[in-house]
Amino acid sequence: MSLTQFIEDFEEAVEDVEAGTLNGATNYRQLEPWDSLAVLTVIAMLDADYGVRLKADDLKSCETLEALYALVQTKVSS
Amino acid sequence: MPKCSFNQVKISGLVTCVPSTEKCIDDEVALFGGNEKQIARLKKTIGLDRRRVADPGTTAADLCGAAAQHLFQQSAVGIDQVDALVCVTQTPDYSQPCNAAVLHGQLGLRKDCAAFDVNLGCSGYVYGLWLAHMMVSAGGCERVVVLAGDTISRLAHPKDRAVAPIFGDGGSATLVERSAADLPAWFSLETDGTGFDKLIVPAGGQRTPCSPETAVETEDEGGNCRTPENLYMDGAEIFNFSIQVEPRAVQELLEYAGIEIEAVDHFVFHQANRYILTNIAKRLKIDLAKVPMQTVERYGNQSSASIPCAICGELPDALRAGSQRVLLSGFGVGLSWASALLDLANLSVCEIIDFKASE
Repeated sequence: MSLTQFIEDFEEAVEDVEAGTLNGATNYRQLEPWDSLAVLTVIAMLDADYGVRLKADDLKSCETLEALYALVQTKVSS
Repeated sequence: MPKCSFNQVKISGLVTCVPSTEKCIDDEVALFGGNEKQIARLKKTIGLDRRRVADPGTTAADLCGAAAQHLFQQSAVGIDQVDALVCVTQTPDYSQPCNAAVLHGQLGLRKDCAAFDVNLGCSGYVYGLWLAHMMVSAGGCERVVVLAGDTISRLAHPKDRAVAPIFGDGGSATLVERSAADLPAWFSLETDGTGFDKLIVPAGGQRTPCSPETAVETEDEGGNCRTPENLYMDGAEIFNFSIQVEPRAVQELLEYAGIEIEAVDHFVFHQANRYILTNIAKRLKIDLAKVPMQTVERYGNQSSASIPCAICGELPDALRAGSQRVLLSGFGVGLSWASALLDLANLSVCEIIDFKASE
């Protein structure tokens, strides 16, 4: 698992986000397509690809993709 | 509830009645604040499209009653041969008496007939079938009618994007009777009441009666409006719940029945939305062609009527070719989920009808 791969997976999970347009510092909650649907598709991606079950509140607790990646890593290792 | 099995009980016909008024998400640009991109994403990813909604004055009891009348018109069984009526609904005509009593009178059933309601939603159809199987197996009933239907669209606040574009209305009638031939059926029923507030109408019952305060609209951080008298759904939690419990419930029931997943012809899930269904199917590694999911795009999420509507709308061609082994599974409000594995064959009727107000 790497941040680069995580960002690619995130870009693929969120509809209307172009591949290669995001980075670790991106505040994903400020993205135009970030809505309740995007929350679902990211939760589904993390469950299917990372075996991690996040709540909607977890996604609200982070701002940057880097921070979200760190949160996912703690769940993977626990 | 441990899993259980039955034999020599059959489903002999079913009808689903839908309102004739259709709404389409394309016509609701204003609800989405003019955000056509968001509508396009919802259509593509979740599969939201059209839904049928009951006109004012039409209730779930009306839709179920019309379905029952059509069922008996098309069936060799007379309405006077029914020993019990089970109504599954969360949107009854009255807080009392129950819909089953009202419909018993309207349909003209015999007086020596049991009639009662079951207050369940998306898992309710499977519960109704389970009860009917038990009642026939126990020996007291030869024929049981299960009427499952709801008008959930009426509980959704029109400015709540989390629910308004999703829910449709419908009513169904299913005849369950004793079968001379061997016909195994397996059921599992499960509950997680700790999640009762994830899908809820908070006001209007005895806990919080309707009052001027419960009619006050609030807007959440996503810009969705609702009052405590409206349906609230925590979409992310319900999604998490569905992809967590459903694949496991299906696998456990197949294991209990000793039937391989490949031997099932159709997996008829509660028609929540296409996204949830594809995610469940992916985790079970089942062929999407075996998972009916057009129903929700045409009629909306019909709560307790969604599984019968999917059978009536998407299985008739297969049923004409012969017996079909189906796994039915409903999940939602409660939180509650229930699955059945059984064979459908030789149905006297299996169709969707439009409601006509004069009926």
